[in-house]
Amino acid sequence: MTFRRKLLAVFSLTVFLSVAGVALLVLTVTRNAFEKTENERTAALVAQFQREFNRRGEDVARRVESIAASDAVTRMATALSGTPADSAEYFDLARTLAESYQLDFLELLDGHGIIISSAQSPAKFGYPDNAFDSLAGLTEQSAFLKLEDLQDSTALGLFAVRAVRSGDHPVYVIGGRRLDKNFLASLDLPPDMRALLYQNRGEHFSPEWLLDAGSGTSRPAEKLSGLVDAVRRYDQEMTGIVNWSGDQADQEVFHAIPLRGVGKDRPLLAILLIGNSRRQYVELKRRIRDAALLAGGGGIVLAILLSSWAAARVTRPVEQLAYAAQDVAAGNWNSSVEVSGHDEVAQLAESFNRMTTELLAQKERLVQAERVAAWRELARRLAHELKNPLFPLQLTVENLIRARTQSPELFDEIFQESSRTLLAEISNLKGIIGRFSEFSKMPQPQIQRVEVNEVVSRVVQLFQAQLKAPGRSAIACKVELDPSVEPIGADSELLHRAISNLVLNAMDAMPNGGTLTLGTRRDDRKVTITVSDTGTGLTREECARIFTPYYTSKQHGTGLGLAIVQSVVSDHGGRISVQSEPGRGTTFVIELPNNMEALRAALSNAERNATETPDIRRNVAAQSASVDRR
Amino acid sequence: MKHIAWQWLAISSVLIAALAASAETRPQYGGTLHVSMLDAPLSLDPADRATPDSFGRRSLTELIFETLVSVDKSGRATPVLADSWQTRGGRRWQFRIRHNVWFHDGSPLTAESVAASLRFANPAWNVTADRDSVIVESDLAEQNLLADLALSRNAIAKRDSDKLSGTGPFHIVDWQPGKELALGAEENCWRGRPFLDGIEIEMGRGFHDQMTALQLGKADLIEVAPEQTRRVSQQGQVLVSSAPMELLALVFGQDGSSPDEKSLREALGWSVERGSMRDVLLQGTGQATGSILPGWMSGYGFVFPTTADLARARSLRDQTHVSANWKLGYDGSDPMNRLLAERISLNARDAGLSLQPTSGGNADLRLMRIPLASTDPWSALQIALAEIGLPPMESKGHSIEDLYAAETAVLATGRVIPLFHLPVSYASVSNLKNWSLRPDGSWNLGDAWLESARP
Amino acid sequence: MSAVSGSYNLGIPNAISNSVSGVPGTARPACSGMPVLVLVLVSIWILATPAAAVDWSVPEQQLARKIVAVTGSGPMALQFENRSSIGRRDSEIIENGLHSTLETMGVRFSEAEHASSSVTITLSENLTSYVWVAQITKPGAETAVAMVSIPRPAWTGSALDSVPLSLRKTLLWSQVSPILDVAVLEENATPTRIAVLDPEKISVYRSQNGRWLEEQSAGIVHANSWPRDLRGRLVAARDHLEAYLPGIVCHSGGSLNLSCNETDDPWPLLAAGLSGNAPVFASVGSSGVASSGIAPEQAFFSSARNFFNGTLTPAIRNVSPGKFYSAAAIAHDKSVLWLFAGVDGQVHFFDGGPERIVHLSWGSDVTSVRTSCGAGWQVLADRAGDDVSDSLRAYEFPDRDPVAVSAPVDFPGPISALWTEARGDTTVAVAKNTETGSYEAYRVAVACNQ
Repeated sequence: MTFRRKLLAVFSLTVFLSVAGVALLVLTVTRNAFEKTENERTAALVAQFQREFNRRGEDVARRVESIAASDAVTRMATALSGTPADSAEYFDLARTLAESYQLDFLELLDGHGIIISSAQSPAKFGYPDNAFDSLAGLTEQSAFLKLEDLQDSTALGLFAVRAVRSGDHPVYVIGGRRLDKNFLASLDLPPDMRALLYQNRGEHFSPEWLLDAGSGTSRPAEKLSGLVDAVRRYDQEMTGIVNWSGDQADQEVFHAIPLRGVGKDRPLLAILLIGNSRRQYVELKRRIRDAALLAGGGGIVLAILLSSWAAARVTRPVEQLAYAAQDVAAGNWNSSVEVSGHDEVAQLAESFNRMTTELLAQKERLVQAERVAAWRELARRLAHELKNPLFPLQLTVENLIRARTQSPELFDEIFQESSRTLLAEISNLKGIIGRFSEFSKMPQPQIQRVEVNEVVSRVVQLFQAQLKAPGRSAIACKVELDPSVEPIGADSELLHRAISNLVLNAMDAMPNGGTLTLGTRRDDRKVTITVSDTGTGLTREECARIFTPYYTSKQHGTGLGLAIVQSVVSDHGGRISVQSEPGRGTTFVIELPNNMEALRAALSNAERNATETPDIRRNVAAQSASVDRR
Repeated sequence: MKHIAWQWLAISSVLIAALAASAETRPQYGGTLHVSMLDAPLSLDPADRATPDSFGRRSLTELIFETLVSVDKSGRATPVLADSWQTRGGRRWQFRIRHNVWFHDGSPLTAESVAASLRFANPAWNVTADRDSVIVESDLAEQNLLADLALSRNAIAKRDSDKLSGTGPFHIVDWQPGKELALGAEENCWRGRPFLDGIEIEMGRGFHDQMTALQLGKADLIEVAPEQTRRVSQQGQVLVSSAPMELLALVFGQDGSSPDEKSLREALGWSVERGSMRDVLLQGTGQATGSILPGWMSGYGFVFPTTADLARARSLRDQTHVSANWKLGYDGSDPMNRLLAERISLNARDAGLSLQPTSGGNADLRLMRIPLASTDPWSALQIALAEIGLPPMESKGHSIEDLYAAETAVLATGRVIPLFHLPVSYASVSNLKNWSLRPDGSWNLGDAWLESARP
Repeated sequence: MSAVSGSYNLGIPNAISNSVSGVPGTARPACSGMPVLVLVLVSIWILATPAAAVDWSVPEQQLARKIVAVTGSGPMALQFENRSSIGRRDSEIIENGLHSTLETMGVRFSEAEHASSSVTITLSENLTSYVWVAQITKPGAETAVAMVSIPRPAWTGSALDSVPLSLRKTLLWSQVSPILDVAVLEENATPTRIAVLDPEKISVYRSQNGRWLEEQSAGIVHANSWPRDLRGRLVAARDHLEAYLPGIVCHSGGSLNLSCNETDDPWPLLAAGLSGNAPVFASVGSSGVASSGIAPEQAFFSSARNFFNGTLTPAIRNVSPGKFYSAAAIAHDKSVLWLFAGVDGQVHFFDGGPERIVHLSWGSDVTSVRTSCGAGWQVLADRAGDDVSDSLRAYEFPDRDPVAVSAPVDFPGPISALWTEARGDTTVAVAKNTETGSYEAYRVAVACNQ
């Protein structure tokens, strides 16, 4: 994980935790506040409803009073107090009055409780009103509830009674409004509130007695049965929450108020159910939660963006330093970092730049010194190499001269023999010069698909005869190839030469015989080739210098073999190392990358060229296919 | 004395001159009369049996068409399109057709056209034309034939494809079945051109709407519900009522199948308090009745009791082993029917009978209003029986006792419980003059005139 | 009355004609007969005699027989009730008659508690008949009902009546069909010979022994239908009658040979006596009054309507009344005051000056009489009003405006004709009796001393 990510993660976590904490706190606090407000609102609404209900009662009482005081009723009372009293012409009066005073029920009764006129049951004139005994005493009271018998049903109403006295016999005016859907619908209620009326009939709860002002509500009334039954059982006001569906917003808080009639036992006539939908509350709660989540989420995203920006700002110099250090580590001592500001990171960058500059200068100096040393070594080696053949040449030429002068008869013989020697030495010189020339002409590797095991096997096969050649101590050869080694991109010729050099080197290190071991190993995206001997071994110094060109520990080496090996390995992007212990033997380890990118690049180059040369294209296609298979 | 008289005369003459009443005793021509009515007949053809009989329909018919004879207030037949008649043996009647009478389409009234019209209206009759006379041979008893011919359904009409032509004082100008009828004065009416130029009749209007229309001056002549007549006359409006000739009765759909059922029906008859219903619901209008024919028509109506006898009703009910659970149907278009039905139901409940009022179609018994068709008791009874759905009565003779026996037999079937006979009442604007009701309860507007109209 | 059972009307050749007897009070023909011969005979008998003298014995016997058939001869409690229009006197006669008839049949009467049967007899009626109903209750049995019916007389006419007021009306004639005008041809204290104009004929009646008999009758031939509110005028000239009807004028020869012509000839507007011309029938005698200076004016009557179209002949200077129903003229300070009851409901006055239109509560009938009372000239006018009753009143014109000079005299229905008689001092007024539906013609005279 990069420093920037760590920093970002720390920032984000911090912001997330803070935001979540605040949101939770806000939610809890608001929920509690809303709960409280909602309860207060519900209580206020119920109170408002009861006021409204009472107001309707007062309204009914007022209307009945107005009717009792109206001219029509007064005239009727006066007319009926005389004899003979003919009430027939007043038969329709109640209906007319009920219409003009907007009452649903209106009955005019004489002093004996006989119906003179009835708006709700016009045909009942002349019949006694059954409830007259309990009503006659209520002429001063406000409105009350009463069940009214209709033609084939009964209806609940809010009634008031007033008496009109003219002469000895009073006339009673009983008027009321029907407690029905229309009454409930006419109540001035807040939007989320509704009033239902359960008419208390029958033993058990039945939805048919439930009046609901709302139209089209298909909610199962049975859900109210619990509350209704509880009110009937305990005969007191109660509150309950009804879940109409699984949705919390469909919850409704019901206040059930028992409504009693008049009379001795004040029967429970109906239960008023004031429903207050929690939808608004729940939806508000949901909105706040959603808002909190949105704000939190947004905050977190914003915080991450800001953190990433800040982290980037903080870490960019450090990263630059890191990249620069990597460059330096990779050998690019030229890299430097941009310095901005004056903080610690800026100082660090400055120091780094100074350090690389120093290092570069030192390296320059070192290279210069090494170059001088190499030239000296080269000069010494050249001198040494050239001196060896030159000496016999000098001797031979001197021998010839001497022979001419001292023994001319033998001159021919000596001349021929000296010529052969001269030619041999010159050939030797040419060989020395050829080797130097070859080293200077080390070619760039032609990357191809190469089976490393195959290359190793070919080398072993090549040297099999020499290892067991007569005249020298036998060397045993062990091959330990890893079959899982996959083909890599490499120049098989150069690779072959490098391994051959190592084998030659090993043979040279085992003049008295020993064991040569070659092995391959798959190692992640690399292939490791080992060449070990059980020869004389190298000292630590030798190990340190062994790949330097023209350095040799042998009597007759040019010192170029291992330098070539290192050059080949290096050109393949690989690495060579040596492990040795004097007397025990030496192991060279070559690590080669699989060079797939280089291989693909080489293949695509080849493909481009192949458009001109179909044969090459076919070849490249085959190679490409085999690369893809890997 | 003489001096005082002169002074009085002088003062009264000044008073008379100051009065701004404008009226003449001589009829004035012109003006269009606007009439509202409850009925909404779909056909004007007098003989159309699909359209139920009603006072309104009779009125319309008699504006456009005329019958051979009519029946006056005393129940006597008087000539109309027949100017004389005679019978031999009672079943063959010869009517001489009045000359110089034209149908509205301009064709003369002939014996053939009369015969064709009567044949159309009464397929059972044998009607033939003989020169200027029409000979009718029917199974009807002789008295009934004249009364029957006076029925508006036997009015003489000329039926040319869809066009109807009559000989009455008004011809059809525009006819929208069940909605509106516009009539124009017939210049060539044999009785003389009517005074009114035209009559526009609006149909299907409720009583309340009609009264409003009258008060707003949009109608000149309206029908008044029986229960409203007292109030209307108290308000000083011109009110004209016929003799009570609309029967209000409870009619069972089927004969009482068992003695128990008959007893229950009898109990229902005894439970109904006609008196209070008449006094209160009908506001004193009409007559309580126990008979199909009103007393003024039969002369014996008082024999049938009309007072309720709850004790008797209960004892009759207690004798039965079944319980009465009837549905009482009524026509909901008139609110009074509902009130009456509810009251009857209350009364029945007092006698232990269950009667459920319903304005729906399915009922065991119905509260029916039957307009008696004629002032002739035989004819009226016969047609009322047909309305109730009872078979025609068969009577040996035509004495008053035979009539009584026939009616008693009908009542004994238990199919019908007569309740009231109601008059049909109309109110008019005060400047509609000289209109009257015919004995059958229809308007006679042939001689009516509007005072404000100017010739 | 017809002897053909069951026929009502006339005109078919083989039906026996019913001669109309012109006695007021019995003129209306009877209704259709009953099949039972007895009842027909009873009805004929009833129609031919005044109601007060009806013999109820036949129906009494019938009912009594029916009652006894049910009750037998046991003790009977009898009750009476009269629900009919039969008067108290008659009902008592009937009650007594039934009582005695039952007694002659062996019935004994007793108190209700001792009676074996209880009978309630109710006198009732329907449109055509009296119906007597006996409800017979015997212990342990259903109430039995017995009844008889007796055809009712159609109506009982009112007697001649005189009203000793300033205006005196005397009934001249009454009949069911409309009367357009009546002319008194001969009189001897009371009229003895009259001519009656109705829509179809002119009939002359003579009074003999207190009964009016038709002397002559002549039909009025007219091709076109009459207007609905038909008006007509009958003028008695010296030796003939002239009948004016819308579009038709008829002249009678000496023996009432009527010749009618379709013509729009003008009608005489005023009585001959008002313009000083002597009336014609010698027996009526001369009024002997001097010429009034009022010209014998005529006016054209609309042939299809009920009013004069406003054209006078000869034309009077400065008098252009427009359409009018009736007119009256009085001599007034050497000038003539013309009054017209216009169809516009106003009274139009012309007295030489400009026309005056006065809105009076007069009806459409006005006429003038020349008498020896008051100012010598009076205008009689009917009252604007309802269809049920009407009245006539006399007015004078001491100044320009009318002043009522008599109390109104009531008529039983709307006045449909008002014409001054030839002599000029009396008028004939025709009213339709709204009670009976018949038309009644009265002579109205102005009496000087109340």
